[in-house]
Amino acid sequence: MVESVPLLRAVLLLLAACVASAIASPGFVNYLVTAPQNPLLQIGTNFTATCFITNTSDVTVDDLRWKLLAQREIPPEQYTKINESALNVTIPITDKTPRWLFCSSQKPAHGRYNSGAYMSGIYLKKGYFPRKPENLSCRAVQDKMHISQFIHCKWEPKQPLPGDFSTMYTVNVNFVNSFKSFNKTTSESSADVDTEVFPNFIFLDVWVEAENELGKMESEHLLVESNSFIKTNPPSDVNIISEDSFPTSLLINWTRPIDETQLRLIYEIRFAPESSYNWSYVPRADTSIDIQSFRLQNLRPDTAYITQLRCKNDKDGYWSEWSNNSTKRTPSSKPSSKPDVWHITLSEFADGRQVQLLCKEPEFANGKIVAYQISVRDFKEKLPNQNIVWERIPNANSSSALITVLKQIHLNNSTPVIVKVTAVNLKGKSPVATIVIPGKENVVSPVQRLEVYPDAGKLLVEWTAPNNTAVSEYLVQWTSGDQVDWQREKKNVRKTFIRGNLERFVMYNVSVYPLYSGWIGNPVQVGAYLEQGAPLDGPTVKLKGKPGCTEAHLIWEEIPKDKQRGFILNYTIFYSVDTDGTKTEAITVPSDTFSYTLKSLVRNQRYDTWISVSNVMGSHRGVKHSFTTLKYAPGEIEGIVVGVSLCFLFFVVLTMLICVCKRDVIKDSFWPKIPNPGASTIGTWSPDHHIKAETSSENCLSGVSVLDVDVCDGKSFFEEDKACLPLKKDKYMSEEHSSGIGGSSCMSSPRQSVSDSDEGGDIADTTASTVQYSSVVASSGYKGQTPSLPAQQAVFSRSESTQPLLESEENPDMLSLEGSRQSRRFPPLSHCEENSDSPNQLEMEAKMLDFCPVGEDSEDGVSAEGQSHEWLTDAPISSYMPQLGGYRQQ
Amino acid sequence: MTKSGQMACGTARRMNGHVKSMYFQLYTKTAATLLSLMLMMVFDTTIMVAASRTQQCGNSLLQALKLARLVQKESVDIIRTYKAAQGDLSELICKVTLYGLPDPNISGLEPSEQISSIHTSLQEFSPHFRRVYDQQTDLQLADSLLLLQLNLIRGRSQYLDVQINHVYQDLFPNSPPLVPDSSGGATSLPPPQNVFQQKVYGCVVLKTYKEFLSNVCKYLRTLKNQMCGMNIRRVNKTFF
Repeated sequence: MVESVPLLRAVLLLLAACVASAIASPGFVNYLVTAPQNPLLQIGTNFTATCFITNTSDVTVDDLRWKLLAQREIPPEQYTKINESALNVTIPITDKTPRWLFCSSQKPAHGRYNSGAYMSGIYLKKGYFPRKPENLSCRAVQDKMHISQFIHCKWEPKQPLPGDFSTMYTVNVNFVNSFKSFNKTTSESSADVDTEVFPNFIFLDVWVEAENELGKMESEHLLVESNSFIKTNPPSDVNIISEDSFPTSLLINWTRPIDETQLRLIYEIRFAPESSYNWSYVPRADTSIDIQSFRLQNLRPDTAYITQLRCKNDKDGYWSEWSNNSTKRTPSSKPSSKPDVWHITLSEFADGRQVQLLCKEPEFANGKIVAYQISVRDFKEKLPNQNIVWERIPNANSSSALITVLKQIHLNNSTPVIVKVTAVNLKGKSPVATIVIPGKENVVSPVQRLEVYPDAGKLLVEWTAPNNTAVSEYLVQWTSGDQVDWQREKKNVRKTFIRGNLERFVMYNVSVYPLYSGWIGNPVQVGAYLEQGAPLDGPTVKLKGKPGCTEAHLIWEEIPKDKQRGFILNYTIFYSVDTDGTKTEAITVPSDTFSYTLKSLVRNQRYDTWISVSNVMGSHRGVKHSFTTLKYAPGEIEGIVVGVSLCFLFFVVLTMLICVCKRDVIKDSFWPKIPNPGASTIGTWSPDHHIKAETSSENCLSGVSVLDVDVCDGKSFFEEDKACLPLKKDKYMSEEHSSGIGGSSCMSSPRQSVSDSDEGGDIADTTASTVQYSSVVASSGYKGQTPSLPAQQAVFSRSESTQPLLESEENPDMLSLEGSRQSRRFPPLSHCEENSDSPNQLEMEAKMLDFCPVGEDSEDGVSAEGQSHEWLTDAPISSYMPQLGGYRQQ
Repeated sequence: MTKSGQMACGTARRMNGHVKSMYFQLYTKTAATLLSLMLMMVFDTTIMVAASRTQQCGNSLLQALKLARLVQKESVDIIRTYKAAQGDLSELICKVTLYGLPDPNISGLEPSEQISSIHTSLQEFSPHFRRVYDQQTDLQLADSLLLLQLNLIRGRSQYLDVQINHVYQDLFPNSPPLVPDSSGGATSLPPPQNVFQQKVYGCVVLKTYKEFLSNVCKYLRTLKNQMCGMNIRRVNKTFF
């Protein structure tokens, strides 16, 4: 192959030269010629092309360029200069290599004019060498009573190769040592070769050739006898014969699918009980001969069996499909094993218990069990077997899987009973099964340890043998609700799977009974699940009673067993703290707890609570329950009312006691003794004495109040301050020209102030040393606000009493205005002493504030101020003028 | 060889007692050695021949026998089909004897000749099958079972010839190969016939072929018995 490359190249060059000379003919000018033309290239190899310059000296080899698809210029490193007129290029061939390779001149003049004369191209046809066909296999199927003349062969690869070459496959079927042959060509990966007549018993040589334009590849040869390709139809007319005399056997007959002269067959037979489809295969050695009947043996009586057959060439070849099901039931015979007798305790009494006797059909019933015969007697009662009285109990169950309830018996605690049972079918009786049910006094030791856990999709029961070594067998019983089932195990078994159809998520109580030659030992019982799942329901929580102020007592019930689906691990109590329920508290309690008291709750708060039940597989929350805690606990309101009432009562009593005990003090405080001016010894200084007497008498009737003015009372101070602040300002401004303690109203001018810094000390001394008393002569109404009126004739009468001088005495025109307000508007004098420069000054201010006319009090400050200004203009003609003179005289 | 030894002993006995005794001992020793050598050679040859024959019978000869049985069975079937397809005269037409057909018997004395005879007969039957097929094509429906079986038996006949040739090459590898002859050999096809004659001709051809195949099966079975396991001792006898 390698040696032929230079030779091929030389031939190509020669051809190129010929082509060049031919092209150089007049009328068609092309100065570049490429070789080889239309090469067939294998992807993955290198390709070398040559460009020749002919009939021109305008172009040299150095002007030539190789391009792919006229755009991608090939680097000059890949060029090889052969001589002055030939240039080689070598490019790798890949699946992405463009299909055109061009050789052209780079001279500019050649590119514009007559460019076709300086360009030549090569079409690159590329692809893969055909792959070797592999995994060749051929098959000929049966067609009616002969083998089809078409041999179907298939091979790999199944997908065509990429590239420009299509691969064709030729299947060859040759007779060994003969010129006879058949073949079939296709582009697919399979073909049917027509042999005209299938060549039975002839050695064939079969192979496949894959061929494209790059070459040919041949598969491995199959050198086999032609019969090895045959796949026949399955045996037909399968007939199964059941013979009464052979209850454990079935005879199978069939018809071979093809004549033995064409093919020697071997068979495979399988059979299974109809109920299980658990196939059993007849050993190949028994059916590896060309037979047409076979006897199945060691079958179970009265059991329907399904049988299937298939066949193939006795040496190589393909198995046919399995034949259709052929079903036949074996004949019945008498039961060959004991019935399975057991008991369950229905109820217990003081003197014994009620027991139900149960029975399963014998494992080898060998026919329909029509009845049971049962004998129950005291264990100590010795009777020969022939004297046993059997009670016949018809078997009502139609299926052998069910348990038959034989009868109920009452057992004494002290007397064990022996139970014997036989099963009866149409062919006879079974062996006798015996159990001894002990009384409670005849306790036999149980197994020492019992564990039940799921394993490989079943429940595995594991126990430790009891100390007593006389155990003959064990009985494993499992119950769920009112369902009961059991299985027996041999005495050396310590671990077994429960063979019943257990359901997932159902709790089974598994018990293991040791049996001592039929004598039933004490059981040990545990609960188990085949598979646990999350609970299906949650407990419903409710309150026990009514909720308290800070606590609530929750109760719930265990969810039904069928919804637990696993061992309950705990309950989790949730309750929402916030009103919007976003914040919840959780409390976990054990699985045996069904009540809980929530404490430290907030009064008058709505709570949502629910309970989640959990097992190992998950949890389920129950229904939400809402309640609201009480604002007051029962009796709390009554207690508060009683307490408050008692306190009030105590206060009232105490007050009354104080009033009673201190009535004199109170009386003095509220109703001070005012000396009767009438009884005063002071001389009458007023010229009109009788008027004075009448005035005194009238003054007592109108009420005389003790002025208790407290300037530190904030409220009163500021209330008055609003109205009187201007007055204060005016007062200070007018200090230099006002003096004396003469009465002044709130609307008095600054000149009417009674405080004077120069005379304060004198006044204080005067006030402190001598209490002035004056009798107030009541006028006929309020007149102080009518300064325009003619000045009233004020009448002053000086009392000699020690009673302090009342304001009304100094400001008689305000007397009628004030009444009961006096007691609340005036601050105590003691505070005045602290907060005023002069006690007399404050006293006077208080008097000014207090003696505001009603009209001023009810009006706003602006109007009052206006009035005061108005009033100020008339102030010089006030009736106070005489007072000043009077005071000075004093 | 054994016989010549005994003569030598007799000569020495007549010549000299003492010397005779010495020569006798000498010849006895030599004869025993040669006898042992010959026995070993004969036994080895027997084993080699038996192995060769066992190998041969396990391949082409057995396959040829199986194929001959198949073709014979099919020839029986086709006669049954042929008679059913010919109508009421089927029994009558098949009792007629015709000349010019291949000899159903196997000729020759040696196995090579006998196998060659089988090959020749198969070659001779081929044009007759073609003629019968053509004739029955005019008489039967295109999809009739008879035509199918005629086609089948013609193809099988060729395959059997291939297999016989194979047996011949296996058993006699140094002999010239059997020459294929599609001309019909010594027999000749009959002239144009009417329908009755065609029916008679077809049945006679098929009956003759069946008889021939019966002989072939017998022969091949015999040959197999000669070549294969249970008759090795019989084959060995020819070497003693």
